[in-house]
Amino acid sequence: MSFISVENVKFSYDEDKNYVLNGLNLKIEKGEFVALLGHNGCGKSTAAKLLNAMFIPDEGVVVVDNMITSDEKLTYEIRRNVGLVLQNPDNQLVASVIEEDVAFGPENLGVPPEEIRSRVNVALKMVDMYEYRTHAPHKLSGGQKQRVAIAGILAMKPRCIVFDEPTAMLDPNGREEVMNTIQVLKELGITVVLITHYMDEAVMADRVVVMDNGNILTAGTPREVFSQVNLLKKHSLDVPQATELCYKLSGVGLKFDKMPLNTEECVEFLEGVLK
Amino acid sequence: MSIIEVKDLSFTYGINTPFEKKAVDDVNVCFNEGEVIGLIGHTGSGKSTFVQMLNGLIKPTSGQVLLEGKDIWEKPKEIRKIRFKVGMVFQYPEYQLFDETVYKDISFGPRNKGLNENEIDLTVRKAAKFVGLSDKLLNKSPFDLSGGEKRRAAIAGVIAMDPDVLVLDEPTAGLDPKGREVLLAQIMGYHKERKNTIFFVSHSMEDISRIADRVMVMNKGRLEMFDTPKNIFAQVEKIESMGLRVPQITKIITMLRERGYDLTDGVLTVEQAFSEVVNLLKREGVI
Ligand SMILES: Nc1ncnc2c1ncn2[C@@H]1O[C@H](COP(=O)(O)OP(=O)(O)OP(=O)(O)O)[C@@H](O)[C@H]1O
Ligand SMILES: Nc1ncnc2c1ncn2[C@@H]1O[C@H](COP(=O)(O)OP(=O)(O)OP(=O)(O)O)[C@@H](O)[C@H]1O
Ligand SMILES: [Mg+2]
Ligand SMILES: [Mg+2]
Repeated sequence: MSFISVENVKFSYDEDKNYVLNGLNLKIEKGEFVALLGHNGCGKSTAAKLLNAMFIPDEGVVVVDNMITSDEKLTYEIRRNVGLVLQNPDNQLVASVIEEDVAFGPENLGVPPEEIRSRVNVALKMVDMYEYRTHAPHKLSGGQKQRVAIAGILAMKPRCIVFDEPTAMLDPNGREEVMNTIQVLKELGITVVLITHYMDEAVMADRVVVMDNGNILTAGTPREVFSQVNLLKKHSLDVPQATELCYKLSGVGLKFDKMPLNTEECVEFLEGVLK
Repeated sequence: MSIIEVKDLSFTYGINTPFEKKAVDDVNVCFNEGEVIGLIGHTGSGKSTFVQMLNGLIKPTSGQVLLEGKDIWEKPKEIRKIRFKVGMVFQYPEYQLFDETVYKDISFGPRNKGLNENEIDLTVRKAAKFVGLSDKLLNKSPFDLSGGEKRRAAIAGVIAMDPDVLVLDEPTAGLDPKGREVLLAQIMGYHKERKNTIFFVSHSMEDISRIADRVMVMNKGRLEMFDTPKNIFAQVEKIESMGLRVPQITKIITMLRERGYDLTDGVLTVEQAFSEVVNLLKREGVI
């Protein structure tokens, strides 16, 4: 059985059954890195909150490592397994000092104090905010808050981390660092779900899942998904600039074995053509 | 003439505390009326602090902001007036949205300007359309929107105010790629018609290179560079040393040039790159 399994899930924020998720099916394997894409309001953040029992489906089930999320007795255990970095860090930063904020999660899990200290330090160093550990979270720049919110979840050491647009406010360097962090997590065997509007981040995933109006539009390897340039554009998405250039060049007769997805692949491909 | 002139501008947070931090450090710069200014810089480089001084949201620790030649802090009691002239969309839209419904939120500016109900309604709907916010969301609470929808609502509120100077702090963060594209086109269209001055803070080098007449690069509180996008993004190494990147497409063309291919530098868009590469392929007899 899959590590996380979302089965025929319907979810609505109101009584009138205006379903935001309308029969969603999604399976995530242990150790997999899945990128979740889709237009604004299609239900990505809602889906993310169903993965760690913050929301319970109206219909259908979400199962995390054989635990069904609608069973309240399991909520705590599910949250130990699946950590969620929220889209707006302000909703997550609670303490008045950064290191206390990062310690908050592990404290709740009953981690011993010395271990908390080392986890907090490691997590803050991973996001390059160690120097700021004694500052107040609300006195940070937008991108700095985003980094601290990530550290808070890293310190809980969950087996799966769901990142809801973690790089939206980061500078290009910071975005690269988050992608490197995700690679490190993957090497540690941690399952990662990354919600993003940046196509060049999604190409780094093992699998890309595209949502549209509460359902899944298409899924596959990055190359499978990003080869469908027209379909993506039709659904408010895009492809990396490298892919777009090559796609346009196919219009003037260039042929591909595989669609280039990043700078290096694009340069290599063009050099090959130019010999 | 310059619409805004910034003189020896500095801002320090937490003066005389252990956390004292000089966020903006002695910036001198002039902006022309009707210019689109892009603002880039690493996380914590002082961009938000800088733009918040332009509309008097925070008061400089030292130095001046002159709006049409007059210090905006000349009469501190009238600083609220400045905020209607210099309209600002915050980096996190949650800081800006406050009313019970999205509709009421967007109508705040036009109502304060003294428009009648009919005009207010027109303005609100036009602004909602501008940002691609569907009618059915207007009666929702702004707090019950998705991240990208909130962003759109916040931008609509400022567009409805129609300020002379428009400051957008990360307006495309969290928008889906099409929303980003459409918003950029809308802003450019609006700018062409209205000819107002726009400040556009962004971490997206792609967006900046498309929209800005001139780009300010901030680094550790200082204004490090101020030039056209073409000149800025031609300096790949300098940009990368400040934690930034050039657009992916610029990088591709730069790498090909470094490998000896005859392509023009300063390519900023996929369209430009496409025509450059097609010409090269033709010259080489590949197509
Ligand atoms: N608290 C809420 N109450 C009512 N409706 C909500 C609430 N949160 C979200 N919605 C609605 O549910 C839909 C899905 O929202 P969700 O936040 O899951 O979208 P998303 O895919 O994460 O979008 P974005 O890319 O903009 O973050 C949207 O139409 C939104 O208006
Ligand atoms: N309210 C505050 N109190 C104390 N220090 C602050 C406050 N707000 C920001 N700072 C500090 O001032 C510096 C500049 O912050 P600012 O928000 O202007 O950066 P920014 O360039 O907008 O960054 P980002 O790209 O992350 O939004 C940062 O080092 C930040 O930690
Ligand atoms: Mg969301
Ligand atoms: Mg900022």
